[in-house]
Amino acid sequence: MPNSLLIVDDHPRFRANARRMLESEGWSVLAEARDGSEALREAERVKPDVVVLDVGLPDASGLDIARRLCARHPGLAVVLVSTHEADDYAGLALEAGARGFLAKSQLSGDALQRLLTG
Amino acid sequence: MARGFLRASDAAEAYSFALQEIAESLGWRVGAAWEPGPGSDAPLRCVAIWTGRGGDLRAFEAATRSAEFHRGQGLPGRVWASGRPAWIVDAAADAALPRRAAAIASGLHAAFGFPLRSDRGVVGVMEFVASEPHEPDAELLATMEALGAQLGQLVERRRAEAFRHAIDRRHAATLAAALDPVVTMDHEGLVLEFNPAAERTFGYPADDAVGREMAALIVPPELREPHRRGLSRYLAGGPARLLDRRIEIDAVRADGRRFPVELTITKIDVPGPPVFTGHLRDISDRRRAEAELKASRARVVQSADAARRRIERDLHDGAQQQLVSLALTLRMLRTRLGQSDLDGAGCLLDEADADLAQAIAELRELAQGIHPALLTDGGLGPALRMLVGRSAVPASLMAAPRQRFPATVEAASYFVVAEALTNAARHAGAKDVEVEAVHADGHLVVRVRDDGVGGADPEGSGLRGLADRVAAQGGSLTVISEPGAGTTLRAEIPCES
Repeated sequence: MPNSLLIVDDHPRFRANARRMLESEGWSVLAEARDGSEALREAERVKPDVVVLDVGLPDASGLDIARRLCARHPGLAVVLVSTHEADDYAGLALEAGARGFLAKSQLSGDALQRLLTG
Repeated sequence: MARGFLRASDAAEAYSFALQEIAESLGWRVGAAWEPGPGSDAPLRCVAIWTGRGGDLRAFEAATRSAEFHRGQGLPGRVWASGRPAWIVDAAADAALPRRAAAIASGLHAAFGFPLRSDRGVVGVMEFVASEPHEPDAELLATMEALGAQLGQLVERRRAEAFRHAIDRRHAATLAAALDPVVTMDHEGLVLEFNPAAERTFGYPADDAVGREMAALIVPPELREPHRRGLSRYLAGGPARLLDRRIEIDAVRADGRRFPVELTITKIDVPGPPVFTGHLRDISDRRRAEAELKASRARVVQSADAARRRIERDLHDGAQQQLVSLALTLRMLRTRLGQSDLDGAGCLLDEADADLAQAIAELRELAQGIHPALLTDGGLGPALRMLVGRSAVPASLMAAPRQRFPATVEAASYFVVAEALTNAARHAGAKDVEVEAVHADGHLVVRVRDDGVGGADPEGSGLRGLADRVAAQGGSLTVISEPGAGTTLRAEIPCES
């Protein structure tokens, strides 16, 4: 059962809230990253089961970072998140190799679990 | 006499030459030529007078120069009216003659006149006056009548030549005054005329240009052979592809510099082989202004798009993130509260969560309308799928490109489809809409067709704004909207993926 996480988002408030909420639901947040480059480095370093990855990053598109993470770490599950509507981005997320997409406001341990096991 | 008459530099000189020849050969003292002025009612006026040496003829000369005779008046008027020669034995004895007093003062007596005839009839009258009375000489009058017929023909020839010279002078003056180049070319492609504006524009003196092949002179090298073939084809009876219409083409100066011109070629209606006149206008300034206008429009649209993206980004990074964080906090609070309600706090939390979800959705819609983030993140295909999926009228996406295009091109295409879908729902009463976007031959072609009521006004503010946006990218927007036959919007934007 995957339960270790890397949270990638350039908004500290979201990272903090997501960490607090997911940890309270039993997930282990191994690290946080503020942009795409840091995400690639941290994924290499902490080897998480799951990366929660924002679509809009300051230095790159989250979709591109998802492609690179999936290429480098074949067993890694990437879940893209954004403030945008899930329906619009689900197709793009799957094309990028991610397991799926969640609207940030809908993020929760259960929602993550459903995506990973669905 | 004919040769001398025609060689004279003007009509007065020609008449004087003829009057002197005739008068001196007859030994008569005065000869005068008369012509009617312009207009059907104009009287005869003296156009030339010759007086012999000796005696004081000034009174008669002055009276003759100032006289005017309508048909039937005086000797010239009688000849003009009858078309026949006339003879006066002694002017001093004929009280009815208008110039009798002047004739007496100048010591003049006999006079005769004869018509100058051409194919048009009597074109003038000549009269001669002697210092003695003379009985009519029928033989002389017959000779003079025959001479008058010849002189009449010469007068007509002189007039025609003078008319042609006047036209030529006007033509030359018009060419010289023209601000734009005018180049005339014969059927062999050789330059016949090269006006001062052409000299200034192309850098050749007219003397150098005339007689040279026009193609080699001002046509860019790669267009010379097509020009020659086109001329040959036309002369062989082929279609005139360039005549009588404005075309824009490059021309070349003497120093080799190229520049754009607007060219109109006209075939001049002259006898013999065809002659062509090219009116050219240097449109370098216009082209520069057009290019600057186009660049300026593109910059305006680009800057507006950038501003929209910035606002969308600010909303995303600011208010939307705050609300999302708030939603997560509320959810954690609800989780910690569990199933207990603590005096209705649980219910209040659920209400706050629902309100927040609504606020997030509305803010997302607002940001979406300003600039669709999906267009930036995923490109035109996903963005069009989103538009079609959310359309209020059932819509199908028939084709969409997978590749990315410049941001302004993607934005223009997106807003064409968005506006068309909105119009189909709000104004056209459509039940079905088809959307397609295809990239081919360096162009992105976006087409939206609905089955609504048609009759859309292409000058309406929405479509006009779209046309401007598309034109700013160098593209074109076509609206086909016959009443009752639906509406099709077609935008074609030049671009490489």
